[in-house]
Amino acid sequence: MRFEHTVRIAASRAVLWELLMDIPRVAACVPGAEAVTALDDDAYRGALRVQVGPIRVRLEGQLAIVERDEEAGTASMRLDAADRGSASGVAATVALSLGRAGDLTELRLETEARILGRLGELGQPIIKRKADQIIGEFARNLERAAAARP
Amino acid sequence: MSTHRVRVRVNGTALEREVPADRLLLDLLREDLALTGTKEGCGIGVCGLCSVLVDDEVVSACLLPVILVDGRSVVTIEGLADRPGGAALQDAFLVHGGFQCGICTPGQLISASALLAASPRANEAEVRDWMKGNLCRCTGYYGILRSIAAVQAGAAEGDGR
Amino acid sequence: MSFDYVVPGSLAEASDLLARGGPDAHALAGGTALVLMYKQGLLRPEKVVGLGRLAELRGVRRLEDGGLWLGAMTTLRAIETHPEVAAHSPALALAFASVATVRIRNQATLGGNLAHADPAQDPPPMLVALDATVEIARGLTRRTLPLGELFRDIFETALVPGELIVGIRLPPLAPRARATYLKFLPRTEDDYATVSVAVRLAVAEDGRCSDARVCLGSVGSTPVRARAVERALVGHALTDHAISDAAALVAQEIDPLGDARGSAAYKREMAAVCTRRAIATLRDA
Repeated sequence: MRFEHTVRIAASRAVLWELLMDIPRVAACVPGAEAVTALDDDAYRGALRVQVGPIRVRLEGQLAIVERDEEAGTASMRLDAADRGSASGVAATVALSLGRAGDLTELRLETEARILGRLGELGQPIIKRKADQIIGEFARNLERAAAARP
Repeated sequence: MSTHRVRVRVNGTALEREVPADRLLLDLLREDLALTGTKEGCGIGVCGLCSVLVDDEVVSACLLPVILVDGRSVVTIEGLADRPGGAALQDAFLVHGGFQCGICTPGQLISASALLAASPRANEAEVRDWMKGNLCRCTGYYGILRSIAAVQAGAAEGDGR
Repeated sequence: MSFDYVVPGSLAEASDLLARGGPDAHALAGGTALVLMYKQGLLRPEKVVGLGRLAELRGVRRLEDGGLWLGAMTTLRAIETHPEVAAHSPALALAFASVATVRIRNQATLGGNLAHADPAQDPPPMLVALDATVEIARGLTRRTLPLGELFRDIFETALVPGELIVGIRLPPLAPRARATYLKFLPRTEDDYATVSVAVRLAVAEDGRCSDARVCLGSVGSTPVRARAVERALVGHALTDHAISDAAALVAQEIDPLGDARGSAAYKREMAAVCTRRAIATLRDA
């Protein structure tokens, strides 16, 4: 499954980059993320709660920054998480890139995700829509967090 | 898991069983009562293999918790011959090629029995619409439709048993 | 996986059990959706509250004002075959008869159908087009919503914990009003529509449309009222041209999800085609 999201954020590229490389702060922007703790400089463990109507999952796993290029404004992250209760999992890579869009910074997120196990029963359209909602809200929260930073 | 005492009449016989809350009628029939005539196909209520009658209405036993059958009566393929028109349907399927491998046949017969009880004079479109939820991989459905039509014709002539 | 099953004897008790049980408590009506999601491993309830003893939730009856009441615990089949339903609107009976197979309809209930909130279901768009209101109970309190406001998102309703759907109320149909339900089902892989359209029209003596409701299923995350189409119809004569132009407006009102039943683009196109056909069918009836 592929998702593409582009958002324009009222913050400088530098501020946004710093924010994006600060995983605990990034996690705080992801709706449903919890218990984020560092494993080392570039890897974190945590959980993501997702709900679709009465269906609820808690995906526990790891997020790692696998590549970064500050000058180019690009980075790549890998997410692996599972919900043992529903025998489901998510394996995703997120490629992000920052660019200029007038006075704003354009953040582009390209996600490639594999949904494993029972969660897949929901069907691609529902999963895509949920991912869209989560990433959309993430971008809005990111913008707020970037604006709050001095 | 809570368990519940359930009273149900199966093919005319009154039964009482203690079942876990999540026990499905299909599993009760096949495993607890050794009534293996009702088959498991898709497990999601689509294919019709597990069709049974509950209070004369056709339902998917794979989607029905036993706790919802308390106080009700169930008819499976094993009890079809005792139902009005049941034997006529069975004979018709034999004569008119209503089955090949037989896996969908119990469900086909149960559904057809319910159809003829609800709408004995259903036209072909109505028969197809009713029976569309009973999938068959062998016959192409022609033999099934012929069999049902034969029973309707026989009943029209006063031949139904 | 393990859960406790309880069958309360009153609506108040049922509300209380559900409210106290939190997100892991689920109501059990007919069971088709609940059992399916349970078998798929998507629902892991701790408590299941059976609604089978709540007799006040069952039944279909004509109301004093000429409207229709549909109780939440009435099976889809009972609604489909009830003479008062066909008398109210044959399209209403058809919408219910369009759900899946007779086996599902014998088990599934109206309340369960609405609470499940799958945007591809048949009854909701038809009920919305007939101006249905839904009565909701929580303990001893009741509230009523226009049915369209019940649906928030895929599988999500406006019900808060402890709330139960009591039933649907349909106002009397105006004497010159007619309704139709069109379910476009080009594939038989499952029984949900690629696109569905419910239309109710009233035509004045001068031949102009005096009132219109157009509601679509399978074109978004909830049933969608195509208000632009409705506005384009009211006050106009129902010529082929007017109908075509009005139906074309549906594209801007919908946001279909591409899936096995059709790509988003295909559904968008077929939504306009089916809307046009449904309106034309009513005009010609």
